[in-house]
Amino acid sequence: MSETAMELKQLKKKIGSKEIIKGLDFEIQKGEVFGFIGPNGAGKTTTIRMMVGLMGITEGEVVIQGQSVKSNFKKAIQEVGAIVENPEMYPFMTGMQNLKHFARMTPGITRERIDEVVGLVGMENAIKTKVGRYSLGMRQRLGIAQALLHKPSILILDEPTNGLDPAGIRHIRKYIRRLASEENVAVIISSHLLTEIELMCDRIGIIKNGEMIGFESVNEQDADDDGSRQIAIEAEPSDKAAELLKERHGIDVEMKEGFVAFEASKTFVPQIVTTLVNEEVLVYRVEVSKASVEDKFFDMIGENVIG
Amino acid sequence: MGRLFSLIWNEVAKIYIQKSTWIMYIFIILLIAGVAALSFFSDVNNNEYGDDWKAELEAENEALTEEMQESEFAGDFNTQQIEKNDYHIENDIKPAEYDAWQFVFENSMLSSFISLLTIIVAGGIVANEFKWGTIKQLLIRPISRSTILLSKYISVLIFALATLAFVLVLSWIAGAMLFGVQGLNPEMVLRKGGELQASTVVEEIISSYGFKLVNLFMMTTFAFMISAIFRNSALAIGTAVFLMMAGTSIVSFFADRVWVKYILFANTDLTVYTSGMGPVRDEMTMGFSIVVLVVYWVILMAASWLAFTKRDVAGN
Ligand SMILES: Nc1ncnc2c1ncn2[C@@H]1O[C@H](COP(=O)(O)OP(=O)(O)OP(=O)(O)O)[C@@H](O)[C@H]1O
Ligand SMILES: [Mg+2]
Repeated sequence: MSETAMELKQLKKKIGSKEIIKGLDFEIQKGEVFGFIGPNGAGKTTTIRMMVGLMGITEGEVVIQGQSVKSNFKKAIQEVGAIVENPEMYPFMTGMQNLKHFARMTPGITRERIDEVVGLVGMENAIKTKVGRYSLGMRQRLGIAQALLHKPSILILDEPTNGLDPAGIRHIRKYIRRLASEENVAVIISSHLLTEIELMCDRIGIIKNGEMIGFESVNEQDADDDGSRQIAIEAEPSDKAAELLKERHGIDVEMKEGFVAFEASKTFVPQIVTTLVNEEVLVYRVEVSKASVEDKFFDMIGENVIG
Repeated sequence: MGRLFSLIWNEVAKIYIQKSTWIMYIFIILLIAGVAALSFFSDVNNNEYGDDWKAELEAENEALTEEMQESEFAGDFNTQQIEKNDYHIENDIKPAEYDAWQFVFENSMLSSFISLLTIIVAGGIVANEFKWGTIKQLLIRPISRSTILLSKYISVLIFALATLAFVLVLSWIAGAMLFGVQGLNPEMVLRKGGELQASTVVEEIISSYGFKLVNLFMMTTFAFMISAIFRNSALAIGTAVFLMMAGTSIVSFFADRVWVKYILFANTDLTVYTSGMGPVRDEMTMGFSIVVLVVYWVILMAASWLAFTKRDVAGN
């Protein structure tokens, strides 16, 4: 059913003798929100710069809606709206003047469309102010407005949550989800802060040292099928609880901050609680959470070393 | 093609929206006002002649001849003035009174100020996009980098022409207010290459500003190239202004070398061929200089194009 919006084929970037991107290979589907996560210096921005043609591709290819960025730049880029690194705009022009400037560079953008995107990012009140006076969050919103002007089928946002307040992040998150589900836009969001974008992504790709080291689905349904949950039980006595779980259910537990913690299917929880209660263990609290992507993220990237 | 027009519109709008451009124009206004006031009060303007101007000129010539006999110093100047007066009488051209046209013509050195301003604009037009970080936004549109560069170059030339028009109109108005206007296009007599020649003032304004535009055009293109290669406006403006000032000294310093004729600045002043001053080296001709200029222009443009279209836009 799903159609490929963008495809990276053995994408490599060398600067001097240093290989910064070492062969990325993945696809992003229409209507999918893809989180591109990695520690500082992992190569997120470099990859994005190659996607939008700001940097030359050393080897491999980026294909956008069937068009190669290398050989058919104009057709490919027409489908893309992007913010690369910071949402830079002309400081001496107003938000509106900036939008009109960029609107003139792509055919077919009407005045109504400009007003529409201004509304989408909630910038009506500040649009006649010079960008030089904007806060970072306001510039971020204007940057997103600019990226949406020509109704792109792929939206690429490098660290879009950078500088946004919680309300701003929520606003953008909602809007991105809607773009993906209603207008079938493929969205690529890079960040080194997993928690900020986890909630808006369908899938997360983790990059380290220029290599993709894993993909994680954060889709609710996938998690249900798989069934694996982080379960933490506050019980007394806790060592008796641990013993019972091992004996009756064959579960190895860990003791974490006074909690009995383990991984199990959600459907298993009632049985476990019954066991504990029947054996007169006092159960104060049961916490069930999705297997945290964050834990996997740190497992995968290992220690926090930039290199 | 329609896209190129929009791009040029964008670039010109960006030039004129910036405060620094307005400050430049305020400088132009102050400069012209200053020059006008100076020539109004210095009173070295030509004499005025009545209906009987031929007799007046004859009388002037006699006075000049007398003066020459009394003092040896006045020699050259007076002979030339007498010749000029005779030319007026013989060809029946009444000497034009000093007016707005003469004022505009006399102040063609204002064109170096236009050069300076255009160099500032050219030096910033590519580099500033890098400084502001907006280059990334500019290059991720369905437009080739070559077209974007072309639109910027054309916009610089539009700025130069608009500024030139502004200077001409403003100095004409200032001249008209202070000295009046004597006809639509008065005739005048000028010495060119030792020969006296009659022509009209508009013709002279066009040729004097026109020749100076050659230098403006080359130095602007130079600043544009540095801007595209080094992505640094201060460097572009600095080197271009320095070369514009030092150019003639460099040429005269190496005047005895054969290769001096291939230096750009030995060729930017084409008036040496028409005014009788002569080029640095005798073997040079106007055609030679034009070829040298074209070759330099092609090299400067090719370098700008290569730097702008082929290189990565990475973090600064
Ligand atoms: N122009 C360049 N020349 C040499 N090395 C570069 C250049 N640009 C980036 N790099 C290197 O490429 C690597 C990846 O950088 P990149 O900016 O893509 O990281 P990132 O994942 O976006 O990091 P961050 O989270 O800090 O934004 C870094 O090690 C950086 O030093
Ligand atoms: Mg980055």
